Amino acid sequence: MVDGFRPADLQEALEFRARHPSIPIAGGTDLMVQKARGFGLKPDFNKPLLFIGHLRKLRQISVRDGNIHIGAGVLLSELIINDKISEALKMAVRQMASPPSRNLATIGGNICNASPAGDTLPYLYAVDAKLILKSVSSERIIHIGKFITDPKQNTLEHDELLTEIIIPNKIFNVSYYKKVGQRKGMSLTKASFQGLADIKNSNVLDIRIAFGSVAPIIVRSREIEASIIGKPVSEINAAVPEILKKYATLIRPIDDARSSAAYRKRVSLRLLEDFLSKLS
Amino acid sequence: MKNCISKPINRVDAPAKISGKAKYIGDIHFENQLFAKTVRSARAKAKIVSIKTPTLPDDYYIIDKNDIPGINRMRTVVSDHPIFAEDEVNYIGQPILLVVGPEREKIYEIVSQIKIKYKDEAAIYNLEEAEVKKAVFTEYSYSKGEPKATFQHAERIIEDEYRTGRQEHIYLEPQGITGDYKDGCMYIYGSLQCPFYIEGAIQDVLGWDSDRIRIIQSTTGGAFGGKEEFPSLMACQVAVASIKTKRPVKMIYDRDEDIICSTKRHPSIVRYKAGLNKNNEVVALDIDIKFDAGAYSELSPVVLQRGMFSATGVYNFPNLKVRGRNFMTNNVPSGAFRGFGAPQTIFSTEMLMHNIAVKLGTNPLDYKIRHLLKRGYPTCTSGKIRDEVKLPEIIEKVEKMSWYRRKIGKHKKFKGVGLSLFLHGCGFTGKGEATIKGKIILKKNGDTVTLKVSSVEMGQGAETCLRKIVAHTLSLPMKKVICETIDTGLIPNSGPTVASRTIMIVGGLLRQASLELKDRWNDANEIEISKTYKHPDFLSWDDDKFEGDAYPTYSWGTNVAEIEIDPVTYEIDVKKITAVYDVGVPIDEKTLEGQIQGGIVQGIGWATIEVMNSPKGKLTQHNLTDYKIPTSMDVPEIECEFIENPYEFGPFGAKCAGELPFVGAPPAVAAAVSNAMSVPIRNIPITPEYLMELDKHED
Repeated sequence: MVDGFRPADLQEALEFRARHPSIPIAGGTDLMVQKARGFGLKPDFNKPLLFIGHLRKLRQISVRDGNIHIGAGVLLSELIINDKISEALKMAVRQMASPPSRNLATIGGNICNASPAGDTLPYLYAVDAKLILKSVSSERIIHIGKFITDPKQNTLEHDELLTEIIIPNKIFNVSYYKKVGQRKGMSLTKASFQGLADIKNSNVLDIRIAFGSVAPIIVRSREIEASIIGKPVSEINAAVPEILKKYATLIRPIDDARSSAAYRKRVSLRLLEDFLSKLS
Repeated sequence: MKNCISKPINRVDAPAKISGKAKYIGDIHFENQLFAKTVRSARAKAKIVSIKTPTLPDDYYIIDKNDIPGINRMRTVVSDHPIFAEDEVNYIGQPILLVVGPEREKIYEIVSQIKIKYKDEAAIYNLEEAEVKKAVFTEYSYSKGEPKATFQHAERIIEDEYRTGRQEHIYLEPQGITGDYKDGCMYIYGSLQCPFYIEGAIQDVLGWDSDRIRIIQSTTGGAFGGKEEFPSLMACQVAVASIKTKRPVKMIYDRDEDIICSTKRHPSIVRYKAGLNKNNEVVALDIDIKFDAGAYSELSPVVLQRGMFSATGVYNFPNLKVRGRNFMTNNVPSGAFRGFGAPQTIFSTEMLMHNIAVKLGTNPLDYKIRHLLKRGYPTCTSGKIRDEVKLPEIIEKVEKMSWYRRKIGKHKKFKGVGLSLFLHGCGFTGKGEATIKGKIILKKNGDTVTLKVSSVEMGQGAETCLRKIVAHTLSLPMKKVICETIDTGLIPNSGPTVASRTIMIVGGLLRQASLELKDRWNDANEIEISKTYKHPDFLSWDDDKFEGDAYPTYSWGTNVAEIEIDPVTYEIDVKKITAVYDVGVPIDEKTLEGQIQGGIVQGIGWATIEVMNSPKGKLTQHNLTDYKIPTSMDVPEIECEFIENPYEFGPFGAKCAGELPFVGAPPAVAAAVSNAMSVPIRNIPITPEYLMELDKHED
């Protein structure tokens, strides 16, 4: 039994994954909090740790075939300053945690943690981000919505690592993001909203809508989006009540220590309404 | 003209703290030290049926009620909190026993094997239930004038109710204490505010005289009242543990444990009946104050007293009836917290005045001005306002700085401006100062002067300011004036570091002693001067009737808050606080500004985002993930000015300042929210959830 392993490269990391049950750890900003047991005590990890935060291959941001590939180990603070990253994603990342945490936390960690309050997730769902999952012998590409199945649950196999996040090449000329927290910094999300749209000649060519923190997983509905796509923006106003009604059935928040279900639901719908009102 | 004492100097404690050299209790290693972990009640109210403990390995110990040689109660105003639970528990988190040993991992393993069987009993979870069940710890009342008759003839009667929430201190450094029983003496080291409170508590628990007890303060990372009474409990526990194990015993809390079991600001409900005359002025006021004291009374009676004596704020209500009650609930005990009961009642009364003014269609400031206290007026307890009340100057200044009147005239939804007026009684309440008779010693040795006081540095700047008072009086450089270590074996009891009394009372004694030393400077190489506080003869106080001068004097202030509310999410963004204070004469403007900025931000936190509920005796927000205090991102622009108003008995004219800034921010912010949303605000914290409910009828 080893307590932890620090591989020299991705290949070594994957080989370790194949041989040992392990917990991949990069910045540890979520894991170390979740597993903390108390002052002066070792955190409660039931499997050896596999340190991957330092792996160069996971820390690159590149453009391939027009798509943006973000390494799973890219720090949140690196996303903010990279010119390949869209302003919409930067806006979400800038409001995450605090500067010290953003200097440790990785985008891959935020995805694998699979919290409904993960702040990169609404954007990644909205843009149909795909994930590359690698093992020693295989590689698969999966839509983020297929990767996260429940709060804290993902479909990563025991021998796999999330290596890259692919953001499809697609331009949205309207973007709207709001994180509602208890305060302006270092705050977990009570509710968040990501709206993206492509408007040309006063017509909605594309629209993406995602809600965070208001259901077990991120809320996105292609069906409702499809009902808006193709409409002239002048018709959106009239459709708003119907759209809100449809989303209201999908938004199923809970009462917890940070907010109430009633507030979360109402504020989510108000954010949606505000976004839609800005399209026309 | 600015007084030259006020000119800022560098904080003497800053270099060690900034460089990391300062040693907090967690940094200090004691040879052969053992660690202690507390086993706590998991039930809000229950009888303990049995406690099953595992066989202990060598060098591991269990310390409980049976190990206490003296009295199993923590000495404070009401000494009712058991050091270790006996046959019952009254709140979740109440200490039952300690597991002590050399390795933390092993200690936690033993803790996990301890099985406690409870028999649950009917618990009281909130003020409403406590009132129904008449679970009252303390009830006080006082009155003035002819309230009954005035109400009968009032033109109009307005009744209203206000609520404030629980608040946790979140001092940067969690609680930590080490007890070391050595050579027949007990040495207590730790993060603390009141060394002699701990000395007294240890005396009771061990049954010892004070000459065998030494309380030594380590660098203290913030307190805000949270280290006033609570460290006494921990100190008694580790003292008993150290005697049993014959080793130093260290107990340091994690943040989560600290939040679960340490004292909180009293949640409150304040009910009013206001009688208005034909000019719509409040001529009679009936105030009913209810505080949730939690499971044990401890020092809640004095918190309630300050709350009651501050309940009329800066106003003169000629006919007054005030009732105050501390209720027993099965919540974590409430205790000392910056402002000590006054923030609850000042908030409520400020909002009452604001809401009445809005209801009458008048400008809240103009309405308040018609009720202001003036020099020579009686206080609420029929004492006398002896010193000049510079509220008119304070108001004029804040108006020039903030353009309050102009801004409130231009009303826009979701944008608001609010103003608060407030005071704080300086020093201990009632007979407090006369009873404690604080003592200080000043010792000259060659060209160096040592000041011996029990007022501690805990981040507020006491050491800088006290040394400055002496250095300035004797025209010595700061480095020639030093503070004796806070060690009860070396210092006299100048009283606890509480109640904004350090500068005015202890600093006042140091000023007197310094002046005397100045006269005698050339008499000898070594000179020692001691001074004992004498309550001015003209002050009178009847502690049975609550009649007379509850405080020697008052500090005053105003805050103007400017806020914006997100129209979609109802989040409150406090943009700016403009503040003017009369604290007599500032001893150090920079240190004072630190207190002001911190107090305002802490007040904004209490008023807006700090939610701490305890639905079934269990705190819902019990860690820093869920309980949020403002960060630097949440700090508004703060502009502050002072109006000088020297107090005859304060050093260089200084009065109290530490708690005052906390008191003013919540009602200013609440008034601004009320202004922005056109709804009366009666409860804090004003969360977006609460605001959305209030605004529901709007859309």
